Amino acid sequence: MTSVQITIEDLSGAPQGKVLKLIRIVGQLDESNVDEQAKTIYTLIESGIQGLSLIFDFTGLEYMNSKSIGYLTDWYSKVSTTGGKVVIAAARENILDILQVVGLTQLIPAYATLEEAKMAVLQ
Amino acid sequence: MDSTPLPTQLEQTVVQAQTEISPAEVKDLPLDERPTEIRIAIPTQAYFLSGIRDFVVNLTKNLTGFSSQWAFRFQAVVDELCNNAIEHGSKPGEFIKVSLISTKNKSLEVIVEDTGTGKEKMNAQQLTALLQERKQMMTSQYLGFRGRGLPKIVGEWTDELVFEDLPEGGIRVKVKKYLRKEEDKVVSTQKNSTSHLYV
Repeated sequence: MTSVQITIEDLSGAPQGKVLKLIRIVGQLDESNVDEQAKTIYTLIESGIQGLSLIFDFTGLEYMNSKSIGYLTDWYSKVSTTGGKVVIAAARENILDILQVVGLTQLIPAYATLEEAKMAVLQ
Repeated sequence: MDSTPLPTQLEQTVVQAQTEISPAEVKDLPLDERPTEIRIAIPTQAYFLSGIRDFVVNLTKNLTGFSSQWAFRFQAVVDELCNNAIEHGSKPGEFIKVSLISTKNKSLEVIVEDTGTGKEKMNAQQLTALLQERKQMMTSQYLGFRGRGLPKIVGEWTDELVFEDLPEGGIRVKVKKYLRKEEDKVVSTQKNSTSHLYV
């Protein structure tokens, strides 16, 4: 199985009634690991947290395949349905390139830094 | 990057039958202009694909004349084609075949063959129809879970995409990308100077 680590942290600064989580993905998301790793994020999204928004920190993400893009789209749909925001921070060129070719950057904004992503979510 | 070792049967040969150039013509070319073919047989397990992805990036950067950006694009193209061949076209315990044919500074061709033993196998005609259907599906904003690999990643990043039925069963998918210097220099993402939004 290809190596990937997903960690979830609370981010401070969210207004009352909102919860902001930072999801860091380090390594490669591919066919060998994405189904298993996606469960971690579904557990968070489906835990019933009110006002949940997500920042995906892709600083350490080296590769993602089309299935992992499908998961990302699904997470966006679920969080958006409850009024939350989803943004991407600090993705590498090759990751932005693949997100762009499938049209996902039209749905999920991508920011150069974590700070910019956080500001965008909190606005 | 994960450093999974390459699996079995790595072989490098001068292209003969697969290119438009005849073997006699190939012999007349200077050594560094001859097409080079690399053939790899990969066990039908997704575990091995990280090693193939690393290999494709390095090969593209070092042998083809394509830019680093295109090296990562081909990495994704090969990964998607191999995933399809493993997931849909072949059963566990077999091998899919991957060929990479580089004509330096001209083109890179990728050929992936499955075994035709998968539970969800299709013939070339069905796959061609599926591709058209998915291309249509992707013309508007698409929120579905699956179906982006072939029409968007493979389709958008190659110039030719052909499905062929193999006589012994299975599918051969051939994709080809021609090197155009002006396109090769294009940067994939346009940074917005005020907000740094990559859209």
